[in-house]
Amino acid sequence: MVSQEKKIKVVLAQFPLETHNRGIITVAGMLRDAGMEVVLMGNARAEQIIKVAVQEFADVVGISSYCGGELALGDELLTMAEREGIRDHTVFILGGIFPPKDAPKLKEIGFSATFPPSATREEITSSIKSAIAARSLG
Amino acid sequence: MSGEKTTKEILEEKAVRGEYIPLYDPEALKKIDKEFSRWKNTVVREQDRENWEVTPHTILGSELPRELLYTPLNNPDFDYIGDLGFSGEEPYTRGIHPNMYRGRTFTMRQIFGAGSPEYINKRMKMLLEHGATGTNWALDLSTVQMFDSDEPEALGQVATVGVPIDCVEDMEVICKDIDITKVSASIITHYPRNTAIIFPMYLVMAERRGIPWDQLPGSSQNDFIMENLVRSACEYIPPKDDFRVQCDNIEFIRKYVPKWNYVTLNGYNLREWGTSGVTEMAVAVANAIEILKEMTRRGYDVDWVAERLAFFWAPANDFFEEVARIRAVRRLWYKIMKYRFGTKNPRSMWMRCHVQTSGVSLTREEPMSNVVRAAYHALAAVLGGVQSLHVDSYDEAYSVPSEEASILSLRTQQIIEAETQVTQVVDPLGGSFYVEALTNDMEERILNEIDEIERMGGIVEVVASGWLHNKITRYMQREQKMIADGDIKVVGRNYFRAPDLKMPDVWVHEYDERIGKEMRDKLARIRQRRDNEKANNTLNALKQACKHGDNVMAACLECARADVTEGEMRRAFVEAFGLWKSPIYV
Repeated sequence: MVSQEKKIKVVLAQFPLETHNRGIITVAGMLRDAGMEVVLMGNARAEQIIKVAVQEFADVVGISSYCGGELALGDELLTMAEREGIRDHTVFILGGIFPPKDAPKLKEIGFSATFPPSATREEITSSIKSAIAARSLG
Repeated sequence: MSGEKTTKEILEEKAVRGEYIPLYDPEALKKIDKEFSRWKNTVVREQDRENWEVTPHTILGSELPRELLYTPLNNPDFDYIGDLGFSGEEPYTRGIHPNMYRGRTFTMRQIFGAGSPEYINKRMKMLLEHGATGTNWALDLSTVQMFDSDEPEALGQVATVGVPIDCVEDMEVICKDIDITKVSASIITHYPRNTAIIFPMYLVMAERRGIPWDQLPGSSQNDFIMENLVRSACEYIPPKDDFRVQCDNIEFIRKYVPKWNYVTLNGYNLREWGTSGVTEMAVAVANAIEILKEMTRRGYDVDWVAERLAFFWAPANDFFEEVARIRAVRRLWYKIMKYRFGTKNPRSMWMRCHVQTSGVSLTREEPMSNVVRAAYHALAAVLGGVQSLHVDSYDEAYSVPSEEASILSLRTQQIIEAETQVTQVVDPLGGSFYVEALTNDMEERILNEIDEIERMGGIVEVVASGWLHNKITRYMQREQKMIADGDIKVVGRNYFRAPDLKMPDVWVHEYDERIGKEMRDKLARIRQRRDNEKANNTLNALKQACKHGDNVMAACLECARADVTEGEMRRAFVEAFGLWKSPIYV
C-alpha cells in the first residue's frame, strides 16, 4: 500500500516535573507503528513545547500527565500556542491520570481529546485523525 | 572491566558446595525417571505432551517456560542443607530469621495520600491508630523533583500526589506529636540528591525537638537508578556524580544516624516502569555490588555498609514466580556477600526487603477487581518471606488513593496476617518440586543479567550509556503490543471485557489550590525571616563540597540548619555538576 498522504507529525512532551514516562514512550511507539512521525521531547516547559511544534510544523501536540497540574499547565500551553499562532491548526491531546471530571475542562481549554490509562492504539489514532479532519474542514 | 572478575565468575569459582549430600537417592531417581517416562507417554494426553512447556505471558513477567508437572527430576541433585538449610541460617533461602513472622510480623507500611503538611500529619496519625506500624511518605511532584513550591514549574502540582516539603518547618508540621523515636519513617526521597536535601531537614527537625539522631528509626530511598533511569525530569545530574552522592549519603547516615536505613535498592519502580522480575532484581543487586565496591574503596569495612542495605521489590501477577524469585535473590545475595565480599557477618548476608504490590498490573476497568489482584500479590510476597509490605489500592488508575481505599489495603494485610494463618509456618512452599526448580531458575537468570551488566562496565556505565534505557523500552513496547493483541490476558480489559463497560464513579483526590498559596506564603515568610547571608554561605559551601569531593550530605545539613530551601539546594547541585539528559528511546 503506497500512501501519497503526508505523514501526520506528532510532538509528544511532558510538563517539566512529570516523573512517569512509560505512558509517553508507549504512545510514541503506538503512533509510530500507526505510520505517524513522532518527535519525543520528554520533559519540557510550555514555551519549549510550542517552539518545537512551530519548528516541526507539527499537526499534533500530545501531553502525558500523571501527577496533576494538567489544568493550570494545559491552559498555559494553549495560551502560548495562541500567542505563537498555531492554536487553530494544531490538534492538542492529553493522556494519563487525571480526575475524570477534568476531561470537559480540558476540552474547554482547547484539548481535542483526552485519554485515560486504558486507551488503546485504535482509540488514540482514530481520535487524532478525526480531530485533524475536523480542523481542516473548520 | 580492567580484567576484574565478574560476580558470576567469582561465584562459579568460590561458591562450590562443600559437603554435598544429595537428598534424593540415585536408585529412587532412576525409578522416578522410569515411571515418569511411562506416565508421560501413556497417561498424559498427546496434546499435553506436545505442549509440555508453556510460557506464561503476564504483565511484567519473565516468560520462563513452565512444565505441566514438576517432580524430583527437575532438581535431581537437590542438597537440602546446601540449597535450603534452615530459616535464619545460611544460605537463607527459607528466610532471614529462624522464626520469621512468629517473631515479628511484616511491617504494614502504607503510603499516605496527598495533601498539605498539616493534612498528612493528621492522616499519618489516623493510619497509626488503625494499626499501621510504620509511616511511608509520598512526596509531591515538585518535592520529588527538588523544586520549591513557589517555582513556576510547580504550578498546579503542589500537594497533588504527596506532601510538599520545602524546608525544615514543613518537617516539623508533618511530624508534630508523632513519636519519631518509636514510629519508623520511610521517606520516599527517590534520588540521591533528593535524599541529601530532604533527610537533613528531618535531622534538623529532630535536633530542634531535642531528639538525638541515634534514636531515629527509618529509611530513605537514595537510589541513583531512580533518577538516571526510571524517572524523567528536566534537571538531572550525570550518573557518575549521582552515584557519588548516593555513596556520600550512605557514609553520612551510617556514621551519624545508626538506626536509619540509608538506601532502599529500588527494584520496584524500575519494574513498574516496564521490565521483568529478573531484570528488576539484577539491576538492584548490581547497584548494591557497586556501592559496596565504592565504600570499600573509601576505606570502610564491607559489613559496616552491608548490614543495613535493604531492597524494594514489586510482586506482580505470576504467583509462584513471585514467591520463587524472592527466595532466589535471598540465596543469591547471601552467596554474593559471602563469596564475593568475604563477609562473616550474618546481617550482611540478609536480603532484607520491603515490597509494594504492583500498580501497573491493576486496571482502570472494574477497579474493585484490583482488590483481588493486590491480595494475591501481597500473599505471594508474604509466602516469599518479605520484611515489610505496602498493598496498592484499587483506585490507583484514577487518583491518589482515597482514605477508604487505603484502609482496605491495610485490611488486606491484616487479613493475611491474622486470618489466613500463612504466617505460622516459615517458608511454607519450600520443598515444593515446582517452587524449588523455579527458585533455581530465577537465581540463575538474575545472576546472568548481573553478569551482562558487569561485562559492559558495571551499573553506572550501562545507565550512562543508555543501554538499560533501551532494554527496558524494548520490554515495555513489546508488552504493550501483547496486551493490545490479547496475548497477555487482563481480566475486564481485554479478557471478558464487559460489553457495556462503564467507568465507575471513583472518588478522586481534589486539587486544593489553597495549599499552593499557603506554601508560597510560607516560603516568602521564611526567606524574609532567616539570615540570608548565612543561607548563601551554606549554599556556596555545598557547591564547593560537590566540586571538591567532600561529603555532600554534611554540607546539606548546614543548609537545612540555615533554613535553606529544597529548590535552592537543587540549583547548587546543578551548578556544581551540570545537567544530564536522560536518553529516550522509542
